[in-house]
Amino acid sequence: MRLNHLLLAGLLTLGVSTFGAQQGPTGRPVAPAAAAQAAKPPMEISPPREQDSVRFGILGDTGTGDRRQYEVGAQMTKAMQIFPFEFVIMLGDNIYGSERPQDFVKKFERPYEGILSQKIPFYASLGNHDDPTQRFYKPFNMNGERFYTFKKGDARFFALDSNYMDQPQLKWIEEQLSRANDRWKIAYFHHPLYSSGERHGSEVDLRTRLEPLFVKYGVDIVFAGHEHFYERIKPQKGIYYFTQGGSAKLREGNIRVNSALTARGYDTDNVFMVAELGKESLHFQVVSRAGRRVDSGSMPLMPEPKQADDKSRSQ
Amino acid sequence: MMRTGLALLFSVLSISLPAGRHVTAAAPIPQQTPVNAYAQAAAEFKKRVDAYLTLRKAVTQKYPEVKETGDPIKIHEREVGLGKGIAMARPHAKAGDVFGPASRYLLKIVEDDWNSRSAADQKAILGEIPRGLMLKVNQPYPPTIPLASVPAKLLAQLPMLPEELEYRLVDRRLLLRDRDANVIVDVLVGAEPTRAK
Repeated sequence: MRLNHLLLAGLLTLGVSTFGAQQGPTGRPVAPAAAAQAAKPPMEISPPREQDSVRFGILGDTGTGDRRQYEVGAQMTKAMQIFPFEFVIMLGDNIYGSERPQDFVKKFERPYEGILSQKIPFYASLGNHDDPTQRFYKPFNMNGERFYTFKKGDARFFALDSNYMDQPQLKWIEEQLSRANDRWKIAYFHHPLYSSGERHGSEVDLRTRLEPLFVKYGVDIVFAGHEHFYERIKPQKGIYYFTQGGSAKLREGNIRVNSALTARGYDTDNVFMVAELGKESLHFQVVSRAGRRVDSGSMPLMPEPKQADDKSRSQ
Repeated sequence: MMRTGLALLFSVLSISLPAGRHVTAAAPIPQQTPVNAYAQAAAEFKKRVDAYLTLRKAVTQKYPEVKETGDPIKIHEREVGLGKGIAMARPHAKAGDVFGPASRYLLKIVEDDWNSRSAADQKAILGEIPRGLMLKVNQPYPPTIPLASVPAKLLAQLPMLPEELEYRLVDRRLLLRDRDANVIVDVLVGAEPTRAK
């Protein structure tokens, strides 16, 4: 096991107890009871832990237009009062089924009305249910491209089209990664490179092509959807992997029991996720449709450059 | 431009002198330029793709590319209009028109890729799309069903396409789809749908 994994094992802290004194929306410490009242229980979410961190929300497999999507959207809107994220990334399957103009309203604009009304931008990636013409839809901020990059503070994000990983895209990824010198490098796309899902599982083809680039150029975190549940994967080759495809659809009980990949899995309700990129650590919280925190933690920024280490791969 | 990933196939298909044939200095060597059947087919495929793009460009004059917009009506209308315009511009198009003589090589690539996959992998690929989907040239790809992902390994073996076009794999049938018009440009003839290994 690599040294940084030992370090990770030592530093990784999980659960509600990892978050310190509660703060109100203004960032000032407040009494727990007052904070709870401000949060309108049962929302379980803590304020950001670091000043000037990059704060964002993560939604995956959202576009059903059904009740579950709206309920998750409402909880996320509520969470914004305590954890004021600056933008949201979308992990694909943004619009299920028909993509008529009214579907964009029903399956995106209305469920996230509370967030959009605060001028919080969304940055979408394409899933297998998404027509690539979504890249022209301004609220998805894709700049007319299937794959694109953007910078927020010390972090650079790479939104990829995992449905169609052709040579031009691979070349583009390598070029962009090679010139990125940001503290954090975050990749996100639809298909998970590692997954304990019984329905889909790991996308090995894709992993064969992407992971060597991620390792070579020091990608720190990878977010994916496709599987309709939440799973935090044990770090692989020095990269943190999250699957968050349960923001509207749910494949209940689909995470393989005793999977060697799973650090934490949740497949009994829909969720949203918020994350914070600090000076040296990633802090994250995953909250269910019922407002319950189902996973949280802090993970250290991995040293760069990363080296291939097959021993760290679980599966 | 053809992908270097096809180099192996290229070499297998090359015509070469039979093994063991000795040529002496005195014997005149028949001047025969080796013909690579795959290269010819690939060049023909590229020519046909280029012809499609020329036709498409003419149609695009009427349906110019949309810029980013918050109005999905504009995106939808452009997609539908372009799709219909392309179909009208090639009313007699039929399966195999664009793939042409490259079809048999592409079939082999698809078949080899399929046979290299585990049963679980095959099941996952087939499971993406509902059974019995009928897809025809010049028709829109059904807008309510997922766009079947093309496995990255398979994609690496197929000839590269311009940005306007993409491959899609449905029940092991390889399609050419116009990305922004959502119209099926070609279907690979001979690739039989199957649900069992």
